[in-house]
Amino acid sequence: MNFRRRAVNNLMFFFLFLTGALVLTSCGGGSSTTTTTTTTTPAANNSVDLTVGFGPNGQAGGYINGVFTTVTICQAGTSTCTDVPNVLVDTGSVGLRVLSSAISSLTLSAIKDTSGDALQECIQYGDTSFSWGPVLLADVKLGGETAASLPIQSIGGNTFAVPSSNCLTMPVNPALPNNGNEDTVAALGSNGILGIGDGIWDCGTGCANVSTGSTYSGYPYYICPSGSCEEIGVPTSDQAANPVAAFSSSDKNGVIITLPAVPSNGTTSVTGTLTFGIATQSNNALGSQTIFGVDACGDLPTVTYNSQQYTDTACTSNTGTGGLGAIFDTGSNALYVLDATTLSPLGISDCTATGYYCVTGGGTATISNIALLGYNSVGSGTVSVNIGDATTLLNANPTFAAYNNLGSDSGSGPSTDFFDFGLPFFLGKTIYISIGGQTVSGVSNAPNGFVAF
Amino acid sequence: MKNIVWLAFLLVIVSCPAWAALGQYEGSISLDKQALKSEDQVRAFPAYKVHQLTTTHGVTVREYVSAQGLVFGVSWGGRFMPDLHQLLGNYVNNVQSASASETHIRHLRGITIKTSDFVFTNFGHMQSWAGSAYVPSMIPANVTAEVVR
Repeated sequence: MNFRRRAVNNLMFFFLFLTGALVLTSCGGGSSTTTTTTTTTPAANNSVDLTVGFGPNGQAGGYINGVFTTVTICQAGTSTCTDVPNVLVDTGSVGLRVLSSAISSLTLSAIKDTSGDALQECIQYGDTSFSWGPVLLADVKLGGETAASLPIQSIGGNTFAVPSSNCLTMPVNPALPNNGNEDTVAALGSNGILGIGDGIWDCGTGCANVSTGSTYSGYPYYICPSGSCEEIGVPTSDQAANPVAAFSSSDKNGVIITLPAVPSNGTTSVTGTLTFGIATQSNNALGSQTIFGVDACGDLPTVTYNSQQYTDTACTSNTGTGGLGAIFDTGSNALYVLDATTLSPLGISDCTATGYYCVTGGGTATISNIALLGYNSVGSGTVSVNIGDATTLLNANPTFAAYNNLGSDSGSGPSTDFFDFGLPFFLGKTIYISIGGQTVSGVSNAPNGFVAF
Repeated sequence: MKNIVWLAFLLVIVSCPAWAALGQYEGSISLDKQALKSEDQVRAFPAYKVHQLTTTHGVTVREYVSAQGLVFGVSWGGRFMPDLHQLLGNYVNNVQSASASETHIRHLRGITIKTSDFVFTNFGHMQSWAGSAYVPSMIPANVTAEVVR
């Protein structure tokens, strides 16, 4: 099977790397008479620009607090490339997904099994919408960084019907545009999603051994022999993967997001920087930030607010369902924290017209003393967020797309609530997000990765 | 005798719909257990029971059963989404027919639906999901919706 062959190749690379490492080690550990020559590779340009704004749909139907960048996508191993602008930068997912219409000038190779069936992926989103399309190999370039021959998902343009009974395990809500199918710019609000969150792969090692045709609810990977699609196990080397973790440089252990502050009534748009690597170059060193360890799901496991504990019980199957603790997610366009009933003492209420929180009297409310505790108690501290009155904010300046104080409910009450520190939280801050399973110099106590600010 | 067997068969058909759970009798949970290929662990509280279904691939489902034996709430969480058609049964229609004013969508991340007698919330990012659904009128007296988690 082709899937397996690629896995073996990766193993070979690993051995080559290991051999290289041994050679390097023996050079450094040699006698004092040995002359070692150090060849320094010039540091890669490890940053790209970010824009917070409406995105490609503009003011009417566009994002509020969307954060976008440009990704260069090339036919693997060639200089045939295209720039895809307005790709959503998402620390809440893993893998690059691009609308097929945005890469129509390229011919990207499919990943096939021995029968010639191309690998397909079905991704469900939390709002019951979904994306469907093949996994293709591309060279992905961000600034001076390259992830060569990376599996990415091409969204839409698929000749096969979405395997609704196997993948679409959530009933699609009719209020979603395009019947929940995120295969157009109008529906997705971007040309694609650059998933640079905590993980290396979008499905993980557990998805390698799934037997073909097993009914595995919510499972993403399929092949479609003779037009009907069935689940297939996929080794991590063929899964849609975090481009950062696949960089050829050493800047592959995480990202840093720097965005400027905005006024409390918002602004049209701002630009910032996405820097690759943590403690690998002079521009990405860790300083006095607090490092919060994340759990196996990339979430902060424990938050305490007003004497109530909000834990990521959903991550540990043994302890049950409930909330998600805290997440730091540029792909969430607002501060999805607590719920309106819990926050009513602060004058915060649900505003059905806008879908965001409103504040009595049209002012701003501060949710303060939100106590964060990292995984294995690595990292603790308190943060506060401001919640503005959405009706006032959005009506006053319809051309504004960047707000640091738009909020909304997370769950439906304390037992299901959590803290999704979305894009507004990142405004005016520099936030480090490491990738679990990658090494960061000087940090040894965060096995699943960390968030630092 | 034959008639009794037929009657029993018919009763089984009538009382066990193709899918189970929310709003159905406790016995229907066995269908969910089967569909999820999961373990079922039951815990009893004074006014209700909880069936916890744990799968081997990192999904947990809890079903909340009243003293009348009806499933008044379900919750789910973990690395994948369980089949909500299975868990919600006929209440899938409430998700699919909720009006815009009853629906609160958080683009790509979450959804909350509150109709007159159905509350549904789901939120997730990749490999990290949580959600719940309950029928307020079926919640036992002296029990709050907060137990469904």
